[in-house]
Amino acid sequence: MTASTIDHLVSVTVFLAAILLFISLFNQTIQTAILYQQHRHLATVCSDLLDNMMLNPGYPLNWGKTNSTPTSFGLQDPEFTQYRLSPFSLMRLNYSSGTPVYYSKTGQYYSNITIGFGKFLLVPFNEIINYSTAAELLGINETYGFSLTVTPIVTVSISEIESSPLKLEVSVKGTGFPLANANVSYCLITVKASGGGPYPSYTTDYGESLTDGGGSTVLTFPSFDGNSESYVLIVYAHISGLVGVGYHEHVRYDGSYVVPLIGDFDSKTVVIAHSWDVHQGDDPAEISYNATFLLLSEDFTLREVPLENSTGKVGKINYGNGQPFNNITIPTYNPGIVIITYRKSAQENGVVLMPWGISSMAFPVTFGSTYPFDKEWVVTDIRQVLVNSIAYQARLSLWSLKGYGVIG
Amino acid sequence: MMRTIEILLVIIIITGAFIIASLFAVLPSPRQVSPLNLRRLALTTLQTLDGDYDLSATVFKANDDSAWAQLQIALSACLPPNMIYNLTVYEVQGGAQLYTPIKSFSNAESLGVSSDAASSLVASSNVTFSVTPEKIGGSQGGGVTLYILNCSDSYGWWITGYTAQSLAQDLYNLLSPYFTKTIMVQNTAQLGQILGNTSLQGETVQNAVIINTFGEAVPIPTAYCKSPYSANSYANYSYALGQKVLLYNWTWTSIVGYPFYYVSNTGNFSSIQNGWGIYGMNQIGPGGLNAFLRGLDNQSYSYDPTDIKGSPGVVYLSNQVIDSSNYYGIYPSQSQTSTRALPTSIISPYSTYHLKVTTYVFNPVDNWIPGAVYRHFVTVNGTSQNQGSFYALGLTRTPDIRLTALGLLTDFKPRLYRSEYTVNGTSRLVVLQLGQAGGV
Repeated sequence: MTASTIDHLVSVTVFLAAILLFISLFNQTIQTAILYQQHRHLATVCSDLLDNMMLNPGYPLNWGKTNSTPTSFGLQDPEFTQYRLSPFSLMRLNYSSGTPVYYSKTGQYYSNITIGFGKFLLVPFNEIINYSTAAELLGINETYGFSLTVTPIVTVSISEIESSPLKLEVSVKGTGFPLANANVSYCLITVKASGGGPYPSYTTDYGESLTDGGGSTVLTFPSFDGNSESYVLIVYAHISGLVGVGYHEHVRYDGSYVVPLIGDFDSKTVVIAHSWDVHQGDDPAEISYNATFLLLSEDFTLREVPLENSTGKVGKINYGNGQPFNNITIPTYNPGIVIITYRKSAQENGVVLMPWGISSMAFPVTFGSTYPFDKEWVVTDIRQVLVNSIAYQARLSLWSLKGYGVIG
Repeated sequence: MMRTIEILLVIIIITGAFIIASLFAVLPSPRQVSPLNLRRLALTTLQTLDGDYDLSATVFKANDDSAWAQLQIALSACLPPNMIYNLTVYEVQGGAQLYTPIKSFSNAESLGVSSDAASSLVASSNVTFSVTPEKIGGSQGGGVTLYILNCSDSYGWWITGYTAQSLAQDLYNLLSPYFTKTIMVQNTAQLGQILGNTSLQGETVQNAVIINTFGEAVPIPTAYCKSPYSANSYANYSYALGQKVLLYNWTWTSIVGYPFYYVSNTGNFSSIQNGWGIYGMNQIGPGGLNAFLRGLDNQSYSYDPTDIKGSPGVVYLSNQVIDSSNYYGIYPSQSQTSTRALPTSIISPYSTYHLKVTTYVFNPVDNWIPGAVYRHFVTVNGTSQNQGSFYALGLTRTPDIRLTALGLLTDFKPRLYRSEYTVNGTSRLVVLQLGQAGGV
């Protein structure tokens, strides 16, 4: 009787222990499988969402060229099919990596993509599309978080080897390889120390070259003294369908300069602001300026499109209260570069650039939520896209905001 | 002791079950759990490389051409560094073997444990692909004649910015490929001939399509500038036109504005102006359209000057026409302004004029039809059949003749026969296969 009782007690105890152990084992296997499924599902959603953004122009179709908020979100260029994105829709996205700037004369905060001195893209907050709006329009609000980066595939970096005579090394690279034997088209804009009356004048020189096996080429300007002139070099590099943009500038004076701000997409106006009113500085002074607009033509050369005098092509601006800003009107919705030369005195001058359409200066775009280091799983997918012929790579990172009920 | 042994046996069985279940429950490798969509990446890479048709140009070059090396550089440069690729170009040909590889390059021996591919069919820039339109009515034998009114002795109205002659030429260019014969009616005398069922160039007058390029005005032959056609400011002429449309089973097309509002003949109306200072033209008024519709329905003539038009404002192309727009490659603006729309009362009740709308060019707005093809039906031996048609675009000036063309094509639906894309030597298939470096 006692032996039988002990037998029963031992067997029941062992049985219960075994059952608990196996439930735990099976549970772990099932949980792992469920997690795999959920991660796989997240990857599918990421791919679908990226396609949804890239292959849909949104509504209205031309929302990137207006001040309106779209009722459907998409970045495709409405004039094309496939993975071609609108340079203007991208321009209206809130750049999440930049620090917004405030301009008191318009009373507006501006989304800020600034790639070093003189390369500005500042878009007023009342005309940008922010992350929460996009998430709502995409139907993923409070379900998924995302971060979208659209970066140029081709990097064109320019460095000064020698200033007099000016020698510049142009290096062209892709994401994984230097671009050997790439065609290079360039435009050198020089601010003249004299001439042009009260406003700064400039000259333009165009040329072409070819990169060597390491993806580099040296551009030499024999009669040009890089120390005594302000200049900007804009380079387009292209090989077998891949196109990239780079730029390099040298200014003789940056105590006061022009800051171009997007004024209005509908009317294509750009606000010409004084730097002291935007970034302050240590030498505020009245400056004169001369604005021009360059288009990238189909043969990868830059073509000047005149701005009418009546639209504020030239003028003077000053800092502080009672000194109004000026406006210029871009004559077209074709992407290009706004180039503004400025001058305080004959020897104190410089030049700043602003892209009209994100692609013309190959500006990157980062849009979305901050990267979630606390999330259990983040998936990423990429597409190669064209933005007005410039090759970009679009990368979407996606994570679930719901979390997973994982035990153990 | 026996119970303990039994439990041990149970544990062994459950362990066995767990092991067997684990063997069958094969979980995917980590790389497959959250993968890059390599297929899409490959496709978009090919599209990027072909963005300026460079890829299309390269794949038709000789195998030793330097463009291949440039293509490989571009491909290597645009893919992430950990990506392995193989690009193969196939010649597309007929016969037993459809695809023959002609060139391939890769950056690795193999494509790793998993890979995916996308393909793109590219066409040679040396090849011209032709499109042959079907002739309207050709399948019924005989075909349909297109008459475009190009009368030199008439003036147009509400075709501001154009002349009837320039519109006629554009219409000829757009529509003549779809018709067996296209004839420009050069003067009102020729119009009088076809109204009398006399062919101008041996064509078939019956079943023709007539496009009036004069807008709200209609050319009138001298023979019709008299009684009884002159009654009620020539409303009776419109009635006669309606009868001819019915008699010859024509499709009468009005390209803009209020149809049949004026008649024009520069010789006969040299001292008459249309109410707006244009001599050579006489104003009929709204009664012209009402008379035409009565004539089309073979009703007795009576003068009705009631203005029946409506002004719905901005109107939009119907889905049917948007589809046709893509098919025929004619792309007018999808939104237009309509201030001369016809009322739905001309089709409902049906007994009013026995008209049915076969094609809505624009979506109706409330009780207004901004643009539509109306077909008139008669009953012959108990069978209802189409006899005479009317296509009216009640838009505001100035006319867009692409809408006229698109409406007719949508209604008649001629097919387009495109040449083969897989003709030997004209197409090549580019396959890009991608994998990721590293193990599982």
